[in-house]
Amino acid sequence: MTDESDGDDKEFIDPLSNYEPRTYESEIAQSLVEDPVSMIPSRPYAHVDSATSVASAVQVLHGLNASCLLVVDADRLVGVFTERDVLERVADNFPAIANRPVRDVMTADPLVVNERDPAGAALAAIVAGGYRHVPVLNAGGDVMGVVSPRRVFAFFERHFQRGPR
Amino acid sequence: MSLTQDLKNEPIRNLSLRDAVAIRSTTTLGEAVVAMRDKHLGCAVIVDDAHRPTGMFTERGLVHALVVGADLDAGMARDYAETKCPTVNQSEPITRVWELIQRDGFRFVAVTDDNGTLVGLTGQRGLAEYLFEYFPQQVAVQRLGNAPWLHAREGA
Repeated sequence: MTDESDGDDKEFIDPLSNYEPRTYESEIAQSLVEDPVSMIPSRPYAHVDSATSVASAVQVLHGLNASCLLVVDADRLVGVFTERDVLERVADNFPAIANRPVRDVMTADPLVVNERDPAGAALAAIVAGGYRHVPVLNAGGDVMGVVSPRRVFAFFERHFQRGPR
Repeated sequence: MSLTQDLKNEPIRNLSLRDAVAIRSTTTLGEAVVAMRDKHLGCAVIVDDAHRPTGMFTERGLVHALVVGADLDAGMARDYAETKCPTVNQSEPITRVWELIQRDGFRFVAVTDDNGTLVGLTGQRGLAEYLFEYFPQQVAVQRLGNAPWLHAREGA
């Protein structure tokens, strides 16, 4: 290859010639880095709006046998209401606050992951962030689902089913 | 060694066990709630005189109690407890915990010694922490926050 502009016949050297693709100890390790959060099951999920009464939200948790409700207003996540919120903020005063809106006792501005984040981010949010339920959003801020430890474990199990590596 | 082999070979005592909240069959709902909240735990293990697990009261049982209008000061935690207390011996392989969580749907698992005495608690969090530590280069390096990657990296 020649450069006609200065007449210098330098040999082309590919700057990526020494590039070595990243290697991983296992397929699971690779998947945690290279697969997106969207590969982790995140549905179904239950949701209520922030004006829902505490009593109704507790009823929904019970009726669905769910541990977490996403609190969504106008298609935007504003909080989560979980069994832990029931334990810490509701149980003692349930009769008194039953008719108040769930926004008063929810966990506002929860830690979230983006659906395009690496799958490992979901596990990091659960362990390092300390949240058992982590909402999944897309780049536009739309709610795509929620990941939980069981769903992350199911993601791991998909690799187990291909056999030990 | 692979993850699946390590899960089969490593004993449950290698998980980061948490101190369990132990309550008696006479513990009220309100007392159980206070004990769980103090230790930031979502369950309390009901034990007998020999400190052996006989039941498990969880946040789900609490939700049930509230829905049916139970009196926290008078109602008994045992009446809203799991009918079966998931229990493992600390020398069993970690796969036992995995099975109880994924196959049987339990969130918490009581851990006992060879005498059947309660020595700790594990469950979803214990397994998640194990995986976190198993893949430090893939998981521990992940950023935590609510900004999408593109926003977080802008200008960097």
